[in-house]
Amino acid sequence: MGRSLEQKYPLIGMSMTETMVRYLPPPRPKQMAGDTAMMAAEKRVKDPKSSPQSMLIDLASARLERAAGTERQLEEVMTDFWFNHFNVFFQKGADRYLVADYERTAIRPNVFNHFEDLLKATARHPAMLFYLDNWQSVHVDSSLLAVAASRRRQQPQQPPRRAGRGLNENYARELLELHTLGVDGGYTQKDVVEVARAMTGWTFTQAAAKQGGQARGRDGDEVAFLFRDQMHDRNEKVVLGHRLRAGRGIQDGEDVLHILATHPQTARFISTKLVEYFVSDRPSPELVDRLAAVFMRTNGDLREVTRALFSDPSFYANENQRSKFKTPFQLLASTLRATDAQIPNSRRMLQTLRTMGHMPYLASAPTGYPAMSDDWVNSGAMLARMNFGLEYASGSLTGGQPLRSIARTAATAREPGEVIRSATAVLLPGVNTTQLQRAILEDANATAGDAKQAPRAQYARLIGLVLGSPEFQRH
Amino acid sequence: MSGMKRRAFVRNGTLALLALGMPPAFLRTPLLGESTFRTARKKTLICIFQRGAVDGLSMVVPFGEKAYYGSRRSIAVPQPGRTGGAIDLDGFFGLHPSLAPLRDLYGRKELAVIHAVGSPDATRSHFDAQDYMESGTPGAKATRDGWLNRALSHTDCDCGRTLADKNAHAADHAVGQLTVGGVAALRGIAMGTELPRSLRGEHPALAISDLQKFGISGGRDSGLQDTFQRLYHTDGNDAVEGAAGDAFEAIRILKAANPLQYNPASGVSYPASDFGRSLRQIAQLIKSGVGVEVAFADLGGWDTHQAQGGAQGQLARRLDDLARGVRALYDDLGDRMEDVVLITMSEFGRTVRENGSGGTDHGHANCMMVMGGGVHGGRILGDWPGLEREQLYEGRDLALTTDFRDVFAEVTSRHLGTTQLDKVFPGYAVDPRRFRGFLG
Repeated sequence: MGRSLEQKYPLIGMSMTETMVRYLPPPRPKQMAGDTAMMAAEKRVKDPKSSPQSMLIDLASARLERAAGTERQLEEVMTDFWFNHFNVFFQKGADRYLVADYERTAIRPNVFNHFEDLLKATARHPAMLFYLDNWQSVHVDSSLLAVAASRRRQQPQQPPRRAGRGLNENYARELLELHTLGVDGGYTQKDVVEVARAMTGWTFTQAAAKQGGQARGRDGDEVAFLFRDQMHDRNEKVVLGHRLRAGRGIQDGEDVLHILATHPQTARFISTKLVEYFVSDRPSPELVDRLAAVFMRTNGDLREVTRALFSDPSFYANENQRSKFKTPFQLLASTLRATDAQIPNSRRMLQTLRTMGHMPYLASAPTGYPAMSDDWVNSGAMLARMNFGLEYASGSLTGGQPLRSIARTAATAREPGEVIRSATAVLLPGVNTTQLQRAILEDANATAGDAKQAPRAQYARLIGLVLGSPEFQRH
Repeated sequence: MSGMKRRAFVRNGTLALLALGMPPAFLRTPLLGESTFRTARKKTLICIFQRGAVDGLSMVVPFGEKAYYGSRRSIAVPQPGRTGGAIDLDGFFGLHPSLAPLRDLYGRKELAVIHAVGSPDATRSHFDAQDYMESGTPGAKATRDGWLNRALSHTDCDCGRTLADKNAHAADHAVGQLTVGGVAALRGIAMGTELPRSLRGEHPALAISDLQKFGISGGRDSGLQDTFQRLYHTDGNDAVEGAAGDAFEAIRILKAANPLQYNPASGVSYPASDFGRSLRQIAQLIKSGVGVEVAFADLGGWDTHQAQGGAQGQLARRLDDLARGVRALYDDLGDRMEDVVLITMSEFGRTVRENGSGGTDHGHANCMMVMGGGVHGGRILGDWPGLEREQLYEGRDLALTTDFRDVFAEVTSRHLGTTQLDKVFPGYAVDPRRFRGFLG
């Protein structure tokens, strides 16, 4: 192995504050009065010096290269699953400075922890608080609003404070619908509002305006979770039948997250998503039931739930073999892994992911990227997959690096049939490829007499056809 | 037998039946003249997304508002008659001088402007606002598909049925068998490498960045496409095979339409920009009759926080690209514009007041333009809320008097012929009485 990923892409190891100091561009000479630091950050991103593109490429390269090269594959796959489950969007303003830390500190260390730990880590993280707007959700009668209003009366020129607008239900709704109970999880609109009220005050420090260590935000140096008592609604709430008594603070939110994390409906919803992601687009209810039971018995211990999934007999049943269509990210990671090419960088590969609509960190909606085959099977995407196979094998995406796993076995081949046999054996181990081999061999024979085709191009063509084949799109 | 051959059989079989005087069911009605086809000629909607939030107040200038000039000391577009002045439309509103190429479309009553239009959601985040406009569901973040995709799903296609109505029918569409001379994926086209949010969803749609390169890489004669067609023709007849078959069919149709030899109408010249190239290819697709019903193109660079400029400058240059491109497309399509509506959109407007760096910040309501042969134009539509301080939204932005969904719904129903508007705009009670009437 060459350099570690952290050396190659320092951004993935940076704290949020370090990221801002390094990447935040200078402010505009004059900001709109009433803009908070975070809103100002969003307005500055068009400055080319901030280069959000290079940040994104570093983050996505690290994700792809880790997926292809890691020895802890399960942790990586689960990180992909849980990041997607608790999705945040790189392009939403300040989130670009927060997302690396989010993955490193909130998601990755918790993928084999208890679900409640994972849920709470995402709930407190500035990336999520910003993405789903909870950071500016404020109790409507709170003192902050009153202060803002009186300030406006004294200084009528000042526009209303954005952050003081009032209750924001975004996080509460997605928390119920996407993170825990699921869309038909048996909650009401009243529950959404009650949860939103309980979560008021969950915000983060305003250190974002800091420039190269110069100006300090009003809360000091570090971007970090903060419970702001003045923003919190201290009245009584009732969430899913649980009474949260009046007069409390951060405990309201903690209780809500506990109630949700241990709810039987959450166990079912999470189990269903796991089965859909790993086993089948049409999850068997029995398997979901078994996983949900493990979830409930172990208080949502994700190590146990994951173990139960991968040790369940139905995971290995015939009808569940190769029944999933790879997502574009899985296609690229599995291609890199199966061919064992040491690519110098991932830029061209990422361009392919972008074209296929699966660039890491660019799922804009809180649903994340879909896991169902239907969402990835369409005519433009199929064409892109075939072309990806051809281009990858030609070396144009990999900087001409040899496909070592295939080169090793194909080195002694004397005729196309042998190359095809060894390539399919390496790329599609355990899969019946008789028909595929025959079709590619016919292609090879048809082009064999073509003097314009260099041997190297012919070889690449055969590999490209395997990589672009329908068989390689499944796993 | 390859997928191509199988489809060729369907086609040839159809011709054989026609020769015997027995048209197959899906062709029968139109041959008898009782068209269940929605229209004999294909209608096309072209959407142009001005990504980054265009300053609608300088695109179509309310020069009759004193407050416009009071709020914009250095970047206001001057009144008509002055140097660099707006192009007077109705004595109160005028086009930015860079939009001069669109002036006679307004004069011919083929260009309508809707002012103070936008999203009822208060967000000033580009991301949220674009997302809401493209999903067609302001305030609802979890909507998975885009409004244009739903519009395609709920609009009759050539065979007289909507794709969403019948799953079995959808499967037929997926292999391109039931459309007459077209494939479902060619109904929705976006210029670029990625499908925009508006076009994502259940209905097939294609992103095309370069028509000449659309296909299997390695060239037309490499034989690779034939081999891939064999690889993807399994007996499973599943969705993967169907989608691949659709792709091969799209390649075949685009080749047959011969887009390589495209020349715009005489005297037409598109700007040499990405946007100009996008519009040129859209015109090419429409003229070649491949069945495009929705075409989408992006045009960025509108987020003018600094040095926006007035009659000249940053915004003026973007508007110049827009206007020259649109006018070239308009002239290139000529009579075909009778069947085309082009609409511009942008996620939100910008502040009425100029900021400290000669720019404008994120605002609220904005302005849209609609044009086409069938448009009842030459009018500024919508209620004008005014620019005096007490008339502004939150004391700073143009207030909203038209929900963008009413504009989208009007164009979807009256141009594309969509009947199930409740499916296209879920959670919104579409009421034609709120339509602004640019399509009658």
